[in-house]
Amino acid sequence: MGIDIGSLSSEAVILMDGQIVSYSIIPTGADTQKAARACMQEALERAHLKFEDVSATVATGYGRISVPFATKTVTEITCHARGAHKLSPNTRTVIDMGGQDSKVISIDTDGRVLDFVMNDKCAAGTGRFLEVMAGALEVDLVEMGDRSARAKNGVVISSMCTVFAESEVISLIAAGCSKNDIIRGLHEAISKRVFAMAGKLRMERPVTMTGGVAKNKGIVDALRRLLKGEIHVPEEPQIVGALGAALSA
Amino acid sequence: MFEGIRTELAPRVIKGLLRSGFALELAKGAAKWSSRKESRAFKLWLDFLFDSMKGGFRRERPVVWISAFTPSEIPYAFNLDPMLPEVIACLAAHMGVSDSAISMAEQSLYSTDLCSFYRCGVGLALGEYLPKPDLIISTSHLCDGAHRFFHNMSQLFGCDHYLIDVPYGNGGRDRAYLVDELYDLADFIGKRTGLHLDDERAAEVIELSNRTRQVMLEINELRRRIPSPFSGSDGMSYVLGMNFCTLGSQLGLAFFRALQGMIQERASRGKGIIGEEKYRLLWLHHIKPYYPNAIFDILEGLGAVVSFEEANHVYWDPMDPRHPLESLATKMLSNFGCGPIEHRIRAILEMAGKYRVNGAIHFSHWGCRQSCGGSHMVRDAMRERGIPTLVLDGDGADVRNYSEGQTRTRLEAFIEMLG
Repeated sequence: MGIDIGSLSSEAVILMDGQIVSYSIIPTGADTQKAARACMQEALERAHLKFEDVSATVATGYGRISVPFATKTVTEITCHARGAHKLSPNTRTVIDMGGQDSKVISIDTDGRVLDFVMNDKCAAGTGRFLEVMAGALEVDLVEMGDRSARAKNGVVISSMCTVFAESEVISLIAAGCSKNDIIRGLHEAISKRVFAMAGKLRMERPVTMTGGVAKNKGIVDALRRLLKGEIHVPEEPQIVGALGAALSA
Repeated sequence: MFEGIRTELAPRVIKGLLRSGFALELAKGAAKWSSRKESRAFKLWLDFLFDSMKGGFRRERPVVWISAFTPSEIPYAFNLDPMLPEVIACLAAHMGVSDSAISMAEQSLYSTDLCSFYRCGVGLALGEYLPKPDLIISTSHLCDGAHRFFHNMSQLFGCDHYLIDVPYGNGGRDRAYLVDELYDLADFIGKRTGLHLDDERAAEVIELSNRTRQVMLEINELRRRIPSPFSGSDGMSYVLGMNFCTLGSQLGLAFFRALQGMIQERASRGKGIIGEEKYRLLWLHHIKPYYPNAIFDILEGLGAVVSFEEANHVYWDPMDPRHPLESLATKMLSNFGCGPIEHRIRAILEMAGKYRVNGAIHFSHWGCRQSCGGSHMVRDAMRERGIPTLVLDGDGADVRNYSEGQTRTRLEAFIEMLG
């Protein structure tokens, strides 16, 4: 079993003979140990298994050290690389955009990490940033991708500090800009930041995008335009870290 | 020994300091070390530091501040003891009090864009926690912020500042220009202090520097051993401090001999700094984070040892005691950090091979433009040699820019990458 304890969500993946038999995704909340147990329990129930049936549990994510029942811990960088390689073996670059950080990972033909870069301490380009902006715009987070596609005009968001960007968004609403245009502007601003980060590596294709933010079509499309190429998004991009953890058992 | 430091520290060494809470923190920091079992070399460093502060506050002799890359041989040739605010800033960070000094500088409108070591230095200076300089000498090479900081300090204290203008190249004309600069500096020191540059004393200082250099080379040879007999973390703290402050002095020679003895003893017993050395690392850039942090504990917990650090690479040739200033000019221009990035890359690749490292960490203290600017070129060159390199962005003096969780993830992922 792989458990990925992120800052916003926690995931568990159970593998049997190399195949996913069940997974779970829950909000992490304030108690990471509780979240670890809850997502583990949910994944077990879905697979009709008991914890005793699990041969090994590997924890990853920022809360990896808070999983008392883990047999070992592996960083999310290695886990996303392994998970993306499993789902798309040709992948050479993984862009992971999670709740608290974003990273670009170069991998070899066996899914081993060759190099990586991560965002600095700033939250820009992460799920948390989008969550705050959705709050400021009073729109549902999951609607942001579709709304972005319906944008008619370009709006430039200059601030990438979460707090300052929030006030910029409020000012734009007050100035009469449409929410859809603002959302597209936010997606483009975030994507440019991640694109610049990717430039620090020798980025090779194909590219796979993982993490909860990969569910946002607006971000994926903005990145596709910047990269001038296809980005593979797994069916459930949020569990790739946990899958990589399970593969590390 | 540490009892001695505590008693010296309070009433005599930095008497003025103890009027404030900041000084009490400094004293507490020094007291913490008393629980550590330290070597003779470490004791020599502490003695040097506190003697230097004591001498400065008592104004026993003219106080000369120099920047880290100013050759310490120059003040020693005038029988002056150099004081390096950058080293004191590292010490303040080590003791966990740099944030107070940095905050003091920021309250005085110094921009947060200024390197945190210099903000810390400004805070220490404004708080009168450093002996007032009579003369300041700095150089234009390697460190971008240094000459601005030292110029500013000369304005603050109303003393003269000599900036040694170091050329970019290292050809004959560049050397001739720098030699002229150093002669001009010698004249400047003579006029400001009334002291005379004596040929015999200058030759003696160069001779001492050469002998120290030889010991440093022998130490570095010992550090090639597997397992690593000495920690790169210590290499970048008190050893680098003495490297900057004491070349050309008897104390410097005594310090490096004591250090050599300690490392030799460990090496002969085959004793490494951790139980099982799985990975040998090279630390790139001159500094590390000096405030309390978990970086080296995390690495060592994963079986990774910083076997060597760029900062202590002996890059210069022996000097000619008959031509002290000419030799010092040659030494300064031979610094691999000067000129195009290829110089530095060549030196780093040589170090990587010599110390048989599995990987390297380039600590990019954002205030160090000259080093961070080339970090990715260094990384790419190392990668071509099959040596993975982590560019670790961070701050060497301002703990507010440190996040243990973020740092841990990068370090652990890097070690996982080494496999």
